[in-house]
Amino acid sequence: MASELMKNGDGEMSKDERKVYDRQIRLWGFDGQNKLRATKVLLIGMQGLGAEIAKNLILSGVNSITLKDHTEVSILDRCSQFLIPRDSEERNRAKASFSAAQKLNPNVKVIVDTTPIEENVDSFVTSFDLVIATECSPSTYKRLSENCRKSNVKIFIADVYGLFGYFYQDVISTHSLYGEVFPNNAEIDTLTSTKKKPQLYYLTSALLKFQSDSNRKPNPDTSEEDIEELKSIIHPQINDSSSDQENKESDVFEEYYGELFCELSPTTSIIGAMVSQTALNTVMNKPVDNYNVFFYDHIEHEGKFHLL
Amino acid sequence: MAATIAGVFNPELQNLIKESKILLVGAGGIGCEVLKNLVLTGFSELEVIDLDTIEVSNLNRQFLFSKESVGKAKSHVAKTSVLKFNPNVNIMSHFGDIMDTKYGVAFFNKFKLVINALDNKKARSHVNRMCLSCQIPLIESGTMGYNGQVEFIKKGVTICYECNTRAEPRTYPMCTIRNTPKEPIHCIIWAKFLFNQLFGEIDEIVSFDEENIESEKLSARNWAIQNDYNPKKLFKKVFFDDIKALMNMKDLYADKKIKPVLLDESLLDQEHVKYSDVLDSEMLTLEQNISMFLDCVTPIKEQWEISTNKCLVWDKDDDMMMNFVVSCSNLRSALFNIPFKTHFDIKSMAGNIIPAIATANAMIAGQIVIHALRILRGKFEKCQNVFLRSMPNHKGGVLVKDRCLQPPNPKCNVCSSKGEIIFTTDMNNFTVRQLEELVLKKKLNMVAPDVTMLDRVIISSDETDGVDMYDMTLSEAGMTSGCSFDAEDDHQNFRVKIIAFDKEKSRDEDPDFEIFNNKNDLHTANEQNNKTKPDEDDEDDCFIDQAESTVCDNNGDTREAVNHLMVDKEEIGYEEVTEGGAEEIGNEEEEITEKISNEEIDAEEISNEEKLAIKRKADEAIEDINDAKKSRVD
Ligand SMILES: [Zn+2]
Repeated sequence: MASELMKNGDGEMSKDERKVYDRQIRLWGFDGQNKLRATKVLLIGMQGLGAEIAKNLILSGVNSITLKDHTEVSILDRCSQFLIPRDSEERNRAKASFSAAQKLNPNVKVIVDTTPIEENVDSFVTSFDLVIATECSPSTYKRLSENCRKSNVKIFIADVYGLFGYFYQDVISTHSLYGEVFPNNAEIDTLTSTKKKPQLYYLTSALLKFQSDSNRKPNPDTSEEDIEELKSIIHPQINDSSSDQENKESDVFEEYYGELFCELSPTTSIIGAMVSQTALNTVMNKPVDNYNVFFYDHIEHEGKFHLL
Repeated sequence: MAATIAGVFNPELQNLIKESKILLVGAGGIGCEVLKNLVLTGFSELEVIDLDTIEVSNLNRQFLFSKESVGKAKSHVAKTSVLKFNPNVNIMSHFGDIMDTKYGVAFFNKFKLVINALDNKKARSHVNRMCLSCQIPLIESGTMGYNGQVEFIKKGVTICYECNTRAEPRTYPMCTIRNTPKEPIHCIIWAKFLFNQLFGEIDEIVSFDEENIESEKLSARNWAIQNDYNPKKLFKKVFFDDIKALMNMKDLYADKKIKPVLLDESLLDQEHVKYSDVLDSEMLTLEQNISMFLDCVTPIKEQWEISTNKCLVWDKDDDMMMNFVVSCSNLRSALFNIPFKTHFDIKSMAGNIIPAIATANAMIAGQIVIHALRILRGKFEKCQNVFLRSMPNHKGGVLVKDRCLQPPNPKCNVCSSKGEIIFTTDMNNFTVRQLEELVLKKKLNMVAPDVTMLDRVIISSDETDGVDMYDMTLSEAGMTSGCSFDAEDDHQNFRVKIIAFDKEKSRDEDPDFEIFNNKNDLHTANEQNNKTKPDEDDEDDCFIDQAESTVCDNNGDTREAVNHLMVDKEEIGYEEVTEGGAEEIGNEEEEITEKISNEEIDAEEISNEEKLAIKRKADEAIEDINDAKKSRVD
């Protein structure tokens, strides 16, 4: 392995680095590239979406990236995890991803961390400039969001459900915390809120509630029960926010239900890139700071930011 | 491979994914991402083709490649890399050119869907024609910097890649380049021109002031040969003697604000000044530029001597050739009081480099596969064109789409049988060879054209036919003003009726030929021509034709096939983008656009930029007039 001295952030950009980063320096300038070279990232969750984010950030030339995952490689990873070689004998996702991740760009320090984030102290996030979390429980997201706000660390929270995906960002302190945008009991919020929210917000809230209740994401093995469960979560919400005919409203997500399982590659690619680029732009002082949530709608194939 | 896991997709789609054979054309920035996404989704019958090899500057985004794979074929390495995370997929990789006739109809017919992840207009047009001809759905894509687009093309259902006229390349007046440069870009073009005069191709198809240029080019080279490419003598001739000669042509600068100033003669004998420790992002001094010039002439000359046919093709990645253009263009700037540019900026402009990042490619590649899933199920109405914006529009949209499918243009030369092309030239001078090379191959992107007029064969792609009228002028070949003939490419299954008009040049600088899509365009052009008085502004003087045969990676790398002088088309794209709607777009984006156009990056590749211009317009359309149909640039 290359010595620390050869890695990013230590002194001037070398000629070799400039050659590798040439096409992006021509987009965001030497200044931007130097900011990236000084950025330390914590990436939680190394399933398909995590792999995409790791790839994008490592290619961009950040200073270091800590790949944090305590879970084991699963067959479902094959839907989108391209950093784990099929013949890998490592069971841990982060460990199994390390060598392909490091190979993407030897200038970046790639660090593996297999401790569950839940076991880390609140101040853990302060060692990073940027935290990107995927595949955590809604309560962990809530806690991370609060901790990052306290210590002024930029945080991005992203998940992909089948072909649907979203991310939340906290880059400006006047915006809502994750737990405020997606409260544990989303029904309360829809009752009190006078502002109608985008449709995909309700889908996301339902998926998060499903996760809180079942301690897992919807799964292809139990797809039928899981869809029923989701529908039962969504129906009251839709009714609360717009009291039109129940049947008509309940069909809103009909097309979506069938494609909500696993982290599927086309969408991990889109969400992973969108969250990565937004995070990189934030580091380069060009944050998208008038919005805090992004939804990718795979049925309408539209990707939109919202302020929630 | 999502499709191998039950319950992830519905069974119908699951089977379609497993069984559909897909062709991916291009294994570059978008190609790598698409290949990964296809394989992970569970597509298991794939072929990928690319004619490029891996370069260091690919590595910031083409993640299937690493330092160790530099120099190897992209298609093969991409295949090897994806097999590591999924060995159970059938990928055939081709290291070759999709335009090669061996990839004919039989080859294309194997596929359910073709995905273009290409970097140049010519190949895009070709695949467009092949897919129209074979009735195979095509997904067309491109990125530039933060922007990108995905387009679905199907014969009879949507607009094709060539339904709309694409903007003509930006041209620079030759007189400006030679006599009155105003901006750094003019000097950079001149420097590339000088390179060609000294070391490049003696090009018989320069479309302006032909004789003059030819003799000049020859004489410059002859002079250099006679003086054995002595760097100091060359420096004195080009930057002192020639300028004095120019200044002596009194009327040349009589009414012009722009006049050259002579450099101090003492510079001729200056000591060598060190420049190697200057970063490429820093400005060189006049003295450093001189030393750089003197240092690079001999190494280039040595390369030139051992080159095939004694002809070098300027290459931005060759340090000496790059230094030649940097120093010459800055020295030229010094003569005309134009600010210097850094090595970094000159490389962008001279090398036509498009900025490129991994994330934009990944977003576009993700959308390509989402489109592919819809297309395989026949849900064409769901496959509107999607555009990636660099910043959210006022509704927060970043990935935005056309409101509906764009229907085919009934007058399209390519996908409609009713298309015809108006072609004007001086029939007593334009040869059949020029018709084939410049019009049919270069302009109309044919590969192996046949031309027949009233059942008489004028050009045949089959040598055994024994037709050889190449050296005849069009008149000698029997063409008259207003005549029509059929041009056909069997390989592409593309035929078009061409109506030819005889038109003598009114000025030397006029183009050798012009192409119009209908008679109205011809009339408009004629009227405009009549209104413009020559020599009023040297912008109107004489236009340089641009390098159309140059190629550039849809996400950043450039390669020049034929090196005419010139500025390449990328530039236009940027300009169009700026015009297209920067005013309506957020500050951030304006900043970026401006930055790009300041750098005047230009490249050979046109379609991305046009598309991006279309995209901007589409965004506005969606936001403001809710009518994406009006969004097309024609
Ligand atoms: Zn067409």
